[in-house]
Amino acid sequence: MRKAVKTGIYFSHPVGSQAHTINYRELYKYIKNVPVVTKIWDSTVNPISDEEYFTGEITSKSINRIIIAGYLPGYLKSIFSRFLKKAGEEAENISLVELYEHPLPDVPSTEIAKSKLICAIYDVPYEAAILAEMNPSQSETLVIGGGIAGIQAALDIANSHNKVYLVEKTGTIGGHMAMFDKTFPTLDCAACILTPKMVEVSNHPFIELMTYSEIKKISGIPGNYSVNILQKARRVNVNTCTGCGTCAEKCPGTSKSEFDAGTTMRKAIYMPFPQAVPNKYLIDADSCRYVQNGKCGVCVKNCPVENCINLDEKDKEVEVQVGNIVVATGFKTFNASRMEQYGYGKYPNVLTSLELERLVNAAGPTGGKISFRTQDKKGNWVFTAEGPEPKSVAIIHCVGSRDENYNKYCSRVCCMYSLKLAHLIKEKLPDAEIFEHYIDMRAFGKGYEEFYDRILHEGIHIIRGKTAKIEEHQDKLLLRTEDIEHNRILEQEVEMVILSVGLEPNNETGDLASILGIGLSANGWLQEANSLSNTTETSSGGIFIAGTCQGPKDIPDSVVQASAAASGVIQSIMLKKTEQSMKNISLSTIESKARELSLINGE
Amino acid sequence: MNRVDPKFKDKLKPYGISDWNECFHCGNCTAICSHSEDSLLMPRNGIRAIQLGLKDKIHNNVDPWLCYYCGDCSEECPRNANPGELMMALRRYLTTVYDWTGVSRIFYTSRTVMIAAFLIVAAAVVGIGAMYSFQLEPIMEFGHLFEKIAIISVAAFILLPNIIRMFRLTLIKQKIKVPLSTLLSGIADLVINMFTQKKTLDCKENRVRWFEHFILVLGYLLLLATTVFLNWFGTDNIYIIIFGYVVGAITFIVTFDFIIRRIRKKAEISKFSHLSDWMFVVWLFLMGLSTFLIRVFIDIGIIQDHLWLYLVHLIILAQWAVIIVPFGKWMHFLYRSFAIYIAEMKKKALSLKQQNQVTTITA
Repeated sequence: MRKAVKTGIYFSHPVGSQAHTINYRELYKYIKNVPVVTKIWDSTVNPISDEEYFTGEITSKSINRIIIAGYLPGYLKSIFSRFLKKAGEEAENISLVELYEHPLPDVPSTEIAKSKLICAIYDVPYEAAILAEMNPSQSETLVIGGGIAGIQAALDIANSHNKVYLVEKTGTIGGHMAMFDKTFPTLDCAACILTPKMVEVSNHPFIELMTYSEIKKISGIPGNYSVNILQKARRVNVNTCTGCGTCAEKCPGTSKSEFDAGTTMRKAIYMPFPQAVPNKYLIDADSCRYVQNGKCGVCVKNCPVENCINLDEKDKEVEVQVGNIVVATGFKTFNASRMEQYGYGKYPNVLTSLELERLVNAAGPTGGKISFRTQDKKGNWVFTAEGPEPKSVAIIHCVGSRDENYNKYCSRVCCMYSLKLAHLIKEKLPDAEIFEHYIDMRAFGKGYEEFYDRILHEGIHIIRGKTAKIEEHQDKLLLRTEDIEHNRILEQEVEMVILSVGLEPNNETGDLASILGIGLSANGWLQEANSLSNTTETSSGGIFIAGTCQGPKDIPDSVVQASAAASGVIQSIMLKKTEQSMKNISLSTIESKARELSLINGE
Repeated sequence: MNRVDPKFKDKLKPYGISDWNECFHCGNCTAICSHSEDSLLMPRNGIRAIQLGLKDKIHNNVDPWLCYYCGDCSEECPRNANPGELMMALRRYLTTVYDWTGVSRIFYTSRTVMIAAFLIVAAAVVGIGAMYSFQLEPIMEFGHLFEKIAIISVAAFILLPNIIRMFRLTLIKQKIKVPLSTLLSGIADLVINMFTQKKTLDCKENRVRWFEHFILVLGYLLLLATTVFLNWFGTDNIYIIIFGYVVGAITFIVTFDFIIRRIRKKAEISKFSHLSDWMFVVWLFLMGLSTFLIRVFIDIGIIQDHLWLYLVHLIILAQWAVIIVPFGKWMHFLYRSFAIYIAEMKKKALSLKQQNQVTTITA
């Protein structure tokens, strides 16, 4: 006869400064009366220090199975495994339950925690229990964000001949990848990979592209969402604009170019970049004189196409019906001026990595020349192709990352892109001295370590030590660093400093999470359903996440995750069914399903 | 050779911060420190030595004394490892290493023993008061004698041997040979550093703190001199009386400001207060205040009716002289000055050695 299952459940502390939305007392009460649960430990006892207590409890109560629940429960697995072994039980009889503290009020964290736990107690996969009932689904899909992840997901879904609405906040798709010059580790031209995909999106019969648009409201249930999209006024008719550029020639309004990371100026009527999709002009209301003062209209006079520019166009809202949603809203870079010790914004030749990325690009403001930042006639600090080139450049890693004062996490891409930038600078300025200041070199991907090795042999000085401060010293920048591997203090004079800024969730991520009813994780990234086994789904049915909105990652990983999200969407389209949101499935449904599927019996 | 003692970091727990593993060695603290240079890589090197348990390296090194705790390193530390306070903890620990009696170690590691010691001293003073049947004159005479004896014996039996031990650990045992002429030439600097702490000025935005500290040291030493050698409580010389008032006031006003800062915890340096830090400022404040008040009471002629004030003063004084000065934070003042001297000597010895090597090669 099989031995009766006796389960001990340990709740590990939720770490971090998140809102505490799980009601643990209610949780304990709920699971206490399940027959197979013998003992519940809360985090007032610590398995790391109270080994004797735990082995004693396990032996005396003859517990033969452990469930560890909480934040990152895997940390404690080996410890409990040892306890079970000591008590003479099967050491591998441990289940892990990850519990999330969703900071959003409309996500019922406690209910989700209860349902996950009850499934673990009955030893039924959570997915199996919640998949028990699904909603009928529509075949249309909404993809939010037109960066590389959004493009990839949209193309994958559309290539299965299903309708996709691709909504992009700015005037063009392409995202950050379009701004990059080369990609690591192969040094492929970023545009050569991206632009064909962008063109494919614009020509695809199954993709409806909505640029300069934002998500306003989502209602309905998984499988049948109704989405309100605000289409901001482009003030230029996308259908009739030929992209000739005559309108911009005489336009008096200017603003910093978003695409060039602020390294140069653009007109108020502009095309984000020459390969923009759609390849049409648009008007930025903030810098347009007509919109601001009501007097101008130069562009209208010069436009060769009749009625193409309508300066009085208003924003409009459209509504679409979709079955599934893929969120791929990406990231923003860390605001380097927050770290005053580096003087970004104060010293003109302290640049962010994104600015340098535009400088080294042949289509950038300087035509690929690395020059110093100078003031133009109107007093704007910009880069031009004139003037000398720097003879020494320092690249500082981990700006705003791995730092308790800013962002504690590692942004994952900075080491690699810094090495790439060092290479690109060396290529343009073979005689320049290039220094990299790093804390730990994280070359973790396929071909990455080899790339690091290659850069090491290119004559670039790679120095271990975080630069503490930058000061201006006789037109040069003076850096002070501890050279840890050589036990010395380095005081270097360089002409240009590049700050390798980390990645942060986009400003709108939190609002979008509220609109969609999905969770946010500790640092404001979107919360996946399971950090190990289900990184594309969320707690809401039919809502998938892909790319850097889920957490910092590089291009290959973003593409992979986008395709994974697309495969989830296609599954749902083929089944004509979508998973329900966790909050919509009642606990009793999950409980009865778990009991039905369970092979475990109490005494 | 350095022996590794993995348990070493646990021994440091009573001296301040207990978590020495936060640091991931980015070197930000050392690079931001205004005192660090190639020959003085702190605070990171100290943290490394603690993590590895390089006990000898810590014992032989005077580096922690060369930190003036401006707090820059702690402010910008990406791991919130608080390197500034780690240095402070090391200084506390080193005082117990230099102390030949071992008493300071007991005081640092056991709060109970320390409080007991304070109570015993207080009881002893009251006992002596009883012995003189609470008569003001003989008690004041005793107090005056006690001051003299305390100064001489603490200097002879604690301060001097401990400084010699410090030299032995950091110079002699290291087999660093410094010529006598070099040793003598550094003495002037030693005295200047001791009384002015001028190296504090290298730290960023530190002028006010340095000035306060400077006049406090001056005020305290002069108060000591006026009461002990000029017999302030007994004198009729109007100049000495006024002088005593000034230095007494300086002592308690400046310490009052220090106490307020430690309570407010605004600056990095005042954020963490070890029990020994509190003891030091509070007792110095009480001493300055009680001395000042006694002379006020003498001058307005009511001291006869307020014997308790003198007894309280004597208790504070005795606790200060018997516990805080020889075994507490007071010693930092001496060790720091000698550490600067030792570091300078080490540097000179090293450069002499290098010169010799160069000459032998060229010869």
